[in-house]
Amino acid sequence: LLSFVSGFVVGKTLEASDVEPALHKLKEGLMVKNVARDIADKLCESVQKSLIGKKMESFTTVNSFVKAALDEALTKVLTPKQSVDILAEIKSVRQKGRPYAIVFCGVNGVGKSTTLSKVAYWLVQNNLKVLIAACDTFRSGAVEQLHVHAENLGLQVYDKGYGKDAAAIAKDAVRYGGEGGYDVVLIDTAGRMQGNEPLMRSLVKLVSLNNPDKVLFVGEALVGNDAVDQLTEFNKKLVDFSTLSTPRVIDGIVLTKFDTIDDKVGAAVSMVYTTGQPIVFVGTGQTYNDLRRCNVESLVDSLLK
Amino acid sequence: GALQKMATSNLIDESVLDELLQDISRALLQADVNVKQVTDLRRNVKAAVDFEDLASGVNRRKVIQNAVLSELLKIVDPGVKPFAPRKGKANVIMFVGLQGSGKTTTCSKFAHYYQRKGWKTALVCADTFRAGAFDQLKQNATKARIPYYGSYTETDPVKLAMEGVDYFKSEGFEIIIVDTSGRHKQEESLFEEMKQVEDAVSPDDVVFIMDSSIGQAAFEQASAFKSRVRVGSIIVTKLDGHAKGGGALAAVAATKSPIIFMGTGEHLQEFEVFESKSFVRRLLGMGDIKGLMDL
Ligand SMILES: Nc1nc2c(ncn2[C@@H]2O[C@H](COP(=O)(O)OP(=O)(O)OP(=O)(O)O)[C@@H](O)[C@H]2O)c(=O)[nH]1
Ligand SMILES: Nc1nc2c(ncn2[C@@H]2O[C@H](COP(=O)(O)OP(=O)(O)OP(=O)(O)O)[C@@H](O)[C@H]2O)c(=O)[nH]1
Ligand SMILES: [Mg+2]
Ligand SMILES: [Mg+2]
Repeated sequence: LLSFVSGFVVGKTLEASDVEPALHKLKEGLMVKNVARDIADKLCESVQKSLIGKKMESFTTVNSFVKAALDEALTKVLTPKQSVDILAEIKSVRQKGRPYAIVFCGVNGVGKSTTLSKVAYWLVQNNLKVLIAACDTFRSGAVEQLHVHAENLGLQVYDKGYGKDAAAIAKDAVRYGGEGGYDVVLIDTAGRMQGNEPLMRSLVKLVSLNNPDKVLFVGEALVGNDAVDQLTEFNKKLVDFSTLSTPRVIDGIVLTKFDTIDDKVGAAVSMVYTTGQPIVFVGTGQTYNDLRRCNVESLVDSLLK
Repeated sequence: GALQKMATSNLIDESVLDELLQDISRALLQADVNVKQVTDLRRNVKAAVDFEDLASGVNRRKVIQNAVLSELLKIVDPGVKPFAPRKGKANVIMFVGLQGSGKTTTCSKFAHYYQRKGWKTALVCADTFRAGAFDQLKQNATKARIPYYGSYTETDPVKLAMEGVDYFKSEGFEIIIVDTSGRHKQEESLFEEMKQVEDAVSPDDVVFIMDSSIGQAAFEQASAFKSRVRVGSIIVTKLDGHAKGGGALAAVAATKSPIIFMGTGEHLQEFEVFESKSFVRRLLGMGDIKGLMDL
């Protein structure tokens, strides 16, 4: 009975030593769920700070008190600061008489082109006229890959084959889209490592030259600690290499391959924490239908389960 | 890094060891090593270091260093020899892995590597799912001047794999590489298809291709592949990025297979024979291990 009672510290003012053991366990739990180490550290640190000096008011164990605080912190991180309504944005841009342009970027093989096709499908379902711009002019089969999707969806691809300047093709495609009465131009880009300077420069050139309506970063839910570095570096280079007076940064995140990770959903936290930008879409499979919105509540549940 | 700290501290007692192990654990967690493997390593190193028995100073330090490094090397090396293709015979090698891990790119690199060493190599595209998969393989193979087999119209990967392998066998090819679609353990029909391709071509080796940026899902996925097909080797890709590649330790443990090569770029030549010491060094984010070993 005594040991049962001692788990409760009603009215106690919490000190670091009270919450540390519980937080340590929770932090390891987050890392098992694939939250990057740095992010797990920072989250738990801020939770610890917020708890020290607090009075435990109701009948509750330190563990559940700490867990509730972490739940709250995670929810706060993952909840978008403002809602993103792409369809509404497209509508308002169309009133200005030009097409809405979205750039998909990210490291190699994460699902940029597949996501682009899923987004195209979704837009078509919303009765929008969509043009696909094939601006991965490097990777073998990249252009043909988009043609296959476009054919399946009854869409057109604007392409200039391989080896050409991606930024210029994007510019031409947007102009072509404007002339052709398209509502949206979806711009596919080649995958690139965040530390590859020439390739990062060429992406930033594309973004600077076209100043698109949305720059979406595509990242896979499988990624571990590199998530933080990827987003930090993409954002940093978008600013450093920009030729715009107000440089662009990543406007939103697409989290792909969500169907391959069971409950190890931590990459979502790493990505959103690093950028402060929302997860606009979640990829949950390899068909056009497999595009979802992010459900913050169930994400947090998976993380703390 | 962590080992640096130890090198400058004179008195190596248990608290220094604990601190050192904590630093190493943090480095490994940041490098995407499986959380459980990190816990195990910590325990094993502690067990390997007996303070009572140790003489003072330099000796102790050496013992600790070696314990850490040998634990890591033990994880990287599963103690089995990788499959070695035999000259004058058809060696069929099947590539499997998660979506986008680098299979198709690595196929050509692998073929190119052996071709330059004088082997007669060929590529078979058994990915009928991914849009543009055959074009991708075809363009890569053409650049590398490697014969390839595939189809734009056939939708059955098992049939294509069999036909391609049979064709190149009959033509006297020595290394026949079968590229397959990306797949994941959560989709049973995809795993079943992989099994059928394996049954159809009876590969001499199945290579698991793993992206170096993978996080904590590595172990479960790798063991699922191993449980369905006879994975015998691993290739870690995209090591030209910033990811440390700690998921490879999980893949080795899950498949009991050695890492044979690593991908270090998108180009054909960016492909290296795997070297465990430098890989472990990269994991810990530190300088030359050899130097430290000699301290
Ligand atoms: N299971 C699953 N697979 C996905 C998802 N999204 C994309 N993929 C697969 O991931 C692989 C790579 O997708 P791509 O769209 O070609 O990736 P990418 O980022 O355009 O690749 P690069 O252009 O070569 O950098 C393909 O096999 C896709 O089918 C997803 O949400 N779930
Ligand atoms: N930087 C870098 N990129 C690589 C490496 N290996 C492959 N890639 C890139 O990763 C992306 C995916 O490679 P693929 O070969 O298409 O991958 P895959 O496993 O065949 O993909 P699926 O067939 O869709 O499952 C492409 O953009 C490749 O160029 C590497 O070692 N370094
Ligand atoms: Mg692509
Ligand atoms: Mg492929």
